[in-house]
Amino acid sequence: MILRAEGIHKRFDTRTVLRDATIEIAPGGITLLLGANGSGKTTLANILATLLSPDRGRITVDGEPLARRRAAARRSIGFASHRPLLYLGLTPLENLSFFGGLAGVPTPSRRAMELLEMLGMAEFARAPVERFSRGMLQRIVLARALMTDPKVLLLDEPYTGLDEEGVAVVNDVLRAARERGAGSLVITHEPERVRALASRVLRVHGGRVEEAA
Amino acid sequence: MTPTIPRWFDRLGVLLWAASVALVAFSFWMVTRAPIEVQMGPVQKIVYVHVPSAIATLIGFGITFAASIAYLATKEWRWDALAASSCEVAMVFATVVMITGPLWARSAWNTWWTWEPRLTTFLILWILYAGYHVVRASLRSQARRTVSAVMGIVFFVNLPIVWKSIEWWRGSLHPKNVTMTPEMRGTLLLGMAAWMLFYAAATLQRLRIEWRAEARAVAGDQGPLGAAEGAGS
Amino acid sequence: MRTILAVALKDLRLHARDVRFLATLALFSASLVLILSVAFGPIFSDPAREASATLWAALFFAGVLGLTRTLDLEGESGGGEALRLTGADPYALYLGKTIANLVLIAADFLLLLPIASVFFDVGSLDVVPGLLGVAALGLVGYAAWGTLFAALARGLRARELLLSVVLFPTLVPLWIGAVKLTHALWGDGSVDPVRDWIKVLAVMDVLGLALAAFLYELIQEATE
Repeated sequence: MILRAEGIHKRFDTRTVLRDATIEIAPGGITLLLGANGSGKTTLANILATLLSPDRGRITVDGEPLARRRAAARRSIGFASHRPLLYLGLTPLENLSFFGGLAGVPTPSRRAMELLEMLGMAEFARAPVERFSRGMLQRIVLARALMTDPKVLLLDEPYTGLDEEGVAVVNDVLRAARERGAGSLVITHEPERVRALASRVLRVHGGRVEEAA
Repeated sequence: MTPTIPRWFDRLGVLLWAASVALVAFSFWMVTRAPIEVQMGPVQKIVYVHVPSAIATLIGFGITFAASIAYLATKEWRWDALAASSCEVAMVFATVVMITGPLWARSAWNTWWTWEPRLTTFLILWILYAGYHVVRASLRSQARRTVSAVMGIVFFVNLPIVWKSIEWWRGSLHPKNVTMTPEMRGTLLLGMAAWMLFYAAATLQRLRIEWRAEARAVAGDQGPLGAAEGAGS
Repeated sequence: MRTILAVALKDLRLHARDVRFLATLALFSASLVLILSVAFGPIFSDPAREASATLWAALFFAGVLGLTRTLDLEGESGGGEALRLTGADPYALYLGKTIANLVLIAADFLLLLPIASVFFDVGSLDVVPGLLGVAALGLVGYAAWGTLFAALARGLRARELLLSVVLFPTLVPLWIGAVKLTHALWGDGSVDPVRDWIKVLAVMDVLGLALAAFLYELIQEATE
């Protein structure tokens, strides 16, 4: 699946954040997206994740406008924002099964356990999320993004608060995604952690997306 | 993209203001000349302001309703601006109705307030649209527009049910068939035309402010981070 | 259908785990009944009338707490956004949340009903089925409109207040109807004299659910 945002403009009241930004996430690639704080990286991620609609510009999925296949596209996009996007009062297993079930995953709780094991969180599957440390939470967030086996993976600051082991887990996830042909976009201000994996390095500057030197 | 105010808009505004001021003045003059009603005396003349204001309120909220639908369908900021402008002007008229109503009631029914259907409905209407303005003021950008539009639609759709249920709840005191001399009727019709024109002029003026604000937002845009240095390269 | 149930169960599970919230809700609504009955008492002029007004006032006010609580659950760490990312039908999400809100307020009704009838000394077991029917009609409308308006109030400061300011006047027909019908049941033991109000409640229920079908998705997409 090719997710493409073209000529994106986004303004929040008196501040234009994106001005004619274009980005494409192609299968099998790992794209790094850099940029200063407030440059619009996260806005762009939210637009790509279909959570925010641009003022102008087109978002296409395999060349077709997003609006025509929004529900399907949402299920093919795995989004890990820097907010957890989880219910704090539920356990990881309940969270993942719930979201997986709504997204049409056939056996959501089995899939959830698989992912939790893969991310080394199986023993915490039944503890309420609200007691988790930042690093543990981050892994559950990744697991949620992976529930539907997405064709596009969007990770917004996935390394924040992670130790060496955690960083390795994220990078394993990225490698696995590349192997099954999914395209990934990683937004980070710690590029040294993934530089070796990246197929392309971009940055948001002046409201546009450009190749980073 | 930058919304500049077109010249026809300003011209229309001037025309409407001139016409409405003239008509309102004329209608006041007519009111002074209209016959004094036998039973109520001069107080009856409140009618010439009260009734046109009530109608202007309903038309104003009706336009908000229509513009809200148009906004949700097109996502054009102009519709949102029209909905909000019309709603604000209508709110002023609604307030006039709420003030003149009890004045009338005091002399006609010998009480300041009564749970009469139209009165009660108007009070509810007034509170709801006051809520509209408060909610609108506490939101920003896109959310503000959509939420306002939803309120503009929901409140208006619900209005007939509120009215009907209150009518059921308690019978109506409002005069249904009023006998008026032709002179009274003429004055009332003139008043309606005058206040309607005034509504249109005020709404246009309010829309102009909205237009300016939008233009200022676009012009005063701080722009994306790094845009200035990026422009040279 | 599965989506509706899943969402409703999720909300109810979250509520059930928050015992402090449930206790607060119960105490708040019970104390509303208490202060109103003290205000009307100790000798009631028309107990059926005063009791029905008290009961529904307590439900309306306490209901707002439930509505905003459900809203906060979605907002506190972005669960609501993840919900949208599942691609599930927005109207099904709305219906799920409406059901959860309905169950919550219905539970409150079941708590307040005996309290109000004891405090005001009204009613008999015979009218309980009728009361349950009136409550069902009234509370479905309350939950339907409340869930829709709660979505509007997302991201607002003082949302409990603003929600009440727009929700209560909107629900005036529902309010009159529910109070009239409850009054009739407690006073005369039958709804026959005020039967027409059942229609008003039904119209409000349907209108709330129908408006949400058109508007809920738009609100969800806009209030980030």
